[in-house]
Amino acid sequence: MTIEPELRDALLAAVPSLRAFAISLSGQVDRADDLVQDTLLRALSHIDRFERGTNLNAWLFTILRNLFHSEYRKRRREVEDADGSYAARLKVSPEQGARLDFEDFRTALAKLPPDQREALLLVGASGFSYEEAANICGCAVGTIKSRVNRARSRLAQLLAVDDVEDLGPDSMTRAALQAIG
Amino acid sequence: MMTQSKGRGGAKVIPESSLSDELEPGLDRAIQERIGDHLRAMYDDLVQQPVPDRFVELLSRLEKRNDAVDK
Repeated sequence: MTIEPELRDALLAAVPSLRAFAISLSGQVDRADDLVQDTLLRALSHIDRFERGTNLNAWLFTILRNLFHSEYRKRRREVEDADGSYAARLKVSPEQGARLDFEDFRTALAKLPPDQREALLLVGASGFSYEEAANICGCAVGTIKSRVNRARSRLAQLLAVDDVEDLGPDSMTRAALQAIG
Repeated sequence: MMTQSKGRGGAKVIPESSLSDELEPGLDRAIQERIGDHLRAMYDDLVQQPVPDRFVELLSRLEKRNDAVDK
């Protein structure tokens, strides 16, 4: 395993964004840090596959994302890990980076289907282009676009409850209120 | 029948006119913008957290091991 100082610095520089992505994906800081560590080790052992001059961050995000999904599938078989428990985990760790202002938002984010959450995080928060996000997720650009759009509409529904409250207690508003309360 | 009540009591039908009032494009754009801002703010908050020592240690340990061990 070769690690030159230059590569070490580049990997270290990537850690904050990898952590932010991992925390937002998994909703759990400890697990996110394990994911980041596995990502770094995997990257180092496959560094010969990285094309110098291409986007290191995008490559690392791809690794992290794939590790997350294979682990997620494994865990799902062991313990049913519903989206509700993701939200619950976020709530019990406010000291770990979730400022109170973001509580509602993180809860709403946790209600999104994982593929939509992932697409929105890559494009709307991590600053990847639709094309890069499609590469990272191994799917078509159009798929990413529609996931991001659906994620935004769903978040708007979940977060804009104040604006539409006067519509009455229809099922959508009830669902949104439950999601936020 | 679709229109038959299933005893859910208070379910109300929203008149289409009031719906179109609520869903004006300007409001929608404003909401989308707010969501985008909020998402980035939340994310930046995470990005700005200090890097835990374990990562610094891990990477420098690998560097040293590389000097010492031929593997």
